Amino acid sequence: MSIAPMPEPETFGRNPKRGLSGRQKKRIAEFVQVALILIAIFVMLVPIIWIFLAAFKTHVDVYQLKLFFTPTFENFGTVFDDPYRLGEKLFNSTIVALVTVVFAIPIATLAAYSFSRFTLRGETLMLVIILATQFVPAVVIILPFFVMFRDIGLLDTRLGLILVNLAIVMPFAIWMIKGFIDGIPMDTEEAAMVDGSSRLQVIRNIVLPMAAPGLLTSAIFCFIIAWNEFLFALILTNKNAVTLPIGLALFKGEEGDLWNLLSAAGIIIMAPMFVLALMIRKYFVQGMTMGAVR
Amino acid sequence: MRDNTLKYLLVLPAIVVVFATAIWPLIEAARLSFTVGRLNRPGSLDQYLGWENYAWAFFEEPAFWNSVWVTAIYTILTVALTTILALGLALLLAPGGRLRSGAQTLLILPFAMSPALIGVSFRFMFNPEFGLFDAFFGALIPPLADVSWLADPNLAFAVVVMADVWGWIPFLTLVLIGGLASVPRDTIEAAQVDGASGWRVFRDVTLPQLGPVLAVVIILKSIFSLKTFDQVFMLTNGGPGTATQTLSHYIYFNGMKYGQIGYSASVAWLMVIPMIFLTYAYAKFVFRKV
Repeated sequence: MSIAPMPEPETFGRNPKRGLSGRQKKRIAEFVQVALILIAIFVMLVPIIWIFLAAFKTHVDVYQLKLFFTPTFENFGTVFDDPYRLGEKLFNSTIVALVTVVFAIPIATLAAYSFSRFTLRGETLMLVIILATQFVPAVVIILPFFVMFRDIGLLDTRLGLILVNLAIVMPFAIWMIKGFIDGIPMDTEEAAMVDGSSRLQVIRNIVLPMAAPGLLTSAIFCFIIAWNEFLFALILTNKNAVTLPIGLALFKGEEGDLWNLLSAAGIIIMAPMFVLALMIRKYFVQGMTMGAVR
Repeated sequence: MRDNTLKYLLVLPAIVVVFATAIWPLIEAARLSFTVGRLNRPGSLDQYLGWENYAWAFFEEPAFWNSVWVTAIYTILTVALTTILALGLALLLAPGGRLRSGAQTLLILPFAMSPALIGVSFRFMFNPEFGLFDAFFGALIPPLADVSWLADPNLAFAVVVMADVWGWIPFLTLVLIGGLASVPRDTIEAAQVDGASGWRVFRDVTLPQLGPVLAVVIILKSIFSLKTFDQVFMLTNGGPGTATQTLSHYIYFNGMKYGQIGYSASVAWLMVIPMIFLTYAYAKFVFRKV
């Protein structure tokens, strides 16, 4: 805080603690705050750190409350071997999330541009419906899709998963990109139009380059959502198109959970998302609240 | 091409996708909710029986009411706890500085974690033999030392709530920090100069200004709490018994495990109704741009 410490007026406050000057009080307050912050950080990180530790423990050490142990990289090899074959799930997750994003972002960008720059008939209604679809429970959406995919043979395929993932990604993408395009001033576009560019040329040559960082942010955001998606993959896949979060269920042995392997798989799921999330941390709030809070 | 045509063409693909992936399934789920709808009986998906599925849920299925109850308590508890704790943390972290900004950055991590993985990690933390939280609570509260958390209905419920609160505090905190940044500093300082105590400043200046953001946070969290599935599935799978069976889990179980698509579609639609109200409330804030 940059404000100079202000002498506490003795007469104010209902119950002035005798013997403590204002400066001392402030120092104690800061000390308590720092302590609370450190506790909060600790609580936030402990489950994550615990997984990181467990992933490097042997299958003997993992079943004890040990903080010190001889680390091993064996688990990361085991999860990729038979019968777990996490590599296949990693591949599925990557393809599904990537293709979902590759479809969603261009479609969302066109719509977002139109919503941002023009007045459409029924625009508010359309935007509310798009918003609402985000709030529909996934379990409602998936029932009809399961029946349909069963009939047309799309169960347990990556294509099927990509199609339903569009349902959860599109509303975020449209709202988020609209926010970014709203922030781009219109004068450059208008000048180019006066010089004879068509609207589509303007979109390609002016809007896209200027919105590029925003589009990348939205793409990363959608990638994380698609990557972590669980319910659709649980219901629609069972063997060939299983993604990483569902793959976690593999590590239930006959004697219970294989925690060292589960943890190694957990790291493989979360580490890439941590990197991506840190890249776009400034926009996380805006994205998740669909622009209600900036 | 004229802008007047183009502007509709530009939104067309998005509208088609939204219609196909969200509107159509909603309508189709509504249709299914009036059918016999057994997965293993061909033709039963077109066999209509009126409101019978709904009547069954309301009058013949204690398990349905159990999941309504579980979801309601779960939602109230997680929304209240997450909001209060996140508000406290936001107030602590908002002033900035190296430690506080660093903490804000770390807050991203739990939120980037797949909810399914959060469920797994909490099952790990509460393992009766080598769970860290289990050992911690056991040392802190001796009566809890020898209990198996996930085998006890109430404690399992508490763990599910804890996992959810743990996973959501970071995000809500970041939103509220954003909200706090827009509370004018001079109003707060003026109140401080007038001798208002920290609590008075918070209650009379900060909280009213934070109102709209707080509302957004509470609505958003309510929606996500009502929908909860992933952590529950991985953590307790609704158990022990049905102690932690949320509505989403109940729908999943009836539809996918028992193949009663028609019945589960009717329960699913019952779940859509509160969502419509919440979405309406939320949309008002989005268009107001708090």
